[in-house]
Amino acid sequence: MTAEQFHNIRLLLIDDEDHFRQTLFKRLGKRGLKAHQAGSGEEGLAIMKAEPVDVVVLDVKMPGLDGIEALKRIKSEWPQAEVIFLTGHSTTQDGVEGIKAGAFDYLSKPVEFEHLLEKIKQAYEKKYRGEERRQEAAYKARIEQQMIATERLASLGTLAAGVAHEINNPLAIINEAAGYLDLLLKKDELAGMPRRKDFEKAVEKISNGVKRARAITHQLLGSVRKQEPLVAEVDLQELSEETLQLVRKEAANKEIQLIQTAGGNLRPIWIDPNQVRQILINLLTNAIHATGAGGTISVHFEAEKGSTTLIISDTGKGIPRENMEKIFEPFFSDKPPGEGTGLGLFVTRQIVDKLGGNIEVQSRIGVGTSIKVVLPNRSPMKPD
Amino acid sequence: MIKIPTRILLVDDEKDFVEMLSMHLSEAGEQVSAAYSGKECLEKLAQSAFDVVILDIKMPGMDGIQTLREIKSMFPLVEVVLLTGHGSTETAVRGMKLGAFDYLLKPADFEDLTAKLEGAKKKRDEQEERIRQAEARLLLRKGGNI
Repeated sequence: MTAEQFHNIRLLLIDDEDHFRQTLFKRLGKRGLKAHQAGSGEEGLAIMKAEPVDVVVLDVKMPGLDGIEALKRIKSEWPQAEVIFLTGHSTTQDGVEGIKAGAFDYLSKPVEFEHLLEKIKQAYEKKYRGEERRQEAAYKARIEQQMIATERLASLGTLAAGVAHEINNPLAIINEAAGYLDLLLKKDELAGMPRRKDFEKAVEKISNGVKRARAITHQLLGSVRKQEPLVAEVDLQELSEETLQLVRKEAANKEIQLIQTAGGNLRPIWIDPNQVRQILINLLTNAIHATGAGGTISVHFEAEKGSTTLIISDTGKGIPRENMEKIFEPFFSDKPPGEGTGLGLFVTRQIVDKLGGNIEVQSRIGVGTSIKVVLPNRSPMKPD
Repeated sequence: MIKIPTRILLVDDEKDFVEMLSMHLSEAGEQVSAAYSGKECLEKLAQSAFDVVILDIKMPGMDGIQTLREIKSMFPLVEVVLLTGHGSTETAVRGMKLGAFDYLLKPADFEDLTAKLEGAKKKRDEQEERIRQAEARLLLRKGGNI
């Protein structure tokens, strides 16, 4: 243990014998160890409520809340705090009880000071190691969870794409049959056909259904489509302006203003322009759907060392907190049936992952949503 | 103006699809024949003249890409539009490099399909016209020499 670590130990002495406690306090102080003091179990618990404590030196025999009871409360409320139990001379029974109740160790009074000091160090080290282990375990659990989620999404994506492919063929048959019927119904020879309007309506519904299903299957296939990796020098602002053109009409229809800004020394980057375009289209389409008349959508670029950040912000309705975790899942959509495939953000994240980038979402209900995508600048020599 | 029907050979192992798309295209004024395999496609091409072949990529036996290779070597004037239910555009791009006119993902939008067929037919007609003119020039030159 380093001297710095030793001096940082947050210690609490609980003993009703004032003289003993004060002496201990002074001797510890001489060694550079500051401690809180409590003359009773109740007082000790009150201090622990107010201050973080690493190690407690606790006397077993006290009026009011006795040592064992105080120990039990400490271990139940602050399980990470280590407790050294001080028992009366040759009463090992109390010491054993203390260890059973979760004490780090026990010492019999009269206590040999150096011995106690050593125990305090050991108790602190145990707590410190335990914390490290806990942090490590929490980190591992978090990573594992992320991996499970990623794998789940990946296998789900592959499966969904397989299903999409199988569905495309029968869908094509339905599509042609509906198209054929539609043509037939438009023929003069069928002008007088009874209830022709009903037939036309039904055929139109079939065609619309096919269009909906096709939007899903094509997008799913697109998400796992193995395109030849393309790395080109891309002027992001130019690419963004080009992409904005594609959605400008839709935005104008909803009276939404589109703004593009840039910061930093924005230079062309080496990246796959098709994938960046797809990211932009997906995010802009979502933003347009979420934003009401009179709203604004802004596309902002920021050059950083080794990467370029793209932020698409809207003044839309925002994403409810409970949906934040789900928005990247396939088929999650808050749009009415038929209006969203629920694949836009799923596909976007897959593309961003493939490009080695990062995507983050910030949203406030009634204020808007801001999606930040960080894209790495590739080397022109490494086409992947 | 009377539309001259495009002579289309539709090749796909999905019988229902071939039947429906044939009826659909015929109703729209095109002249459609069907083949259910790459082999049958080549046989039909040898028997009659076609402007465009609509070719499915994924077929048992001789697949679309192999069939395309054969078509382009035996009947170079015939244009091919690839049709695929598969997500892999790589295959489609490979097909384009082998000389396919274009490709579409199933289920295709009928207007997209007819636009591509028209484009393919136009390309074929222009190519034919160029050959005719070259032949005429050749004949003329020969005539001059006599």
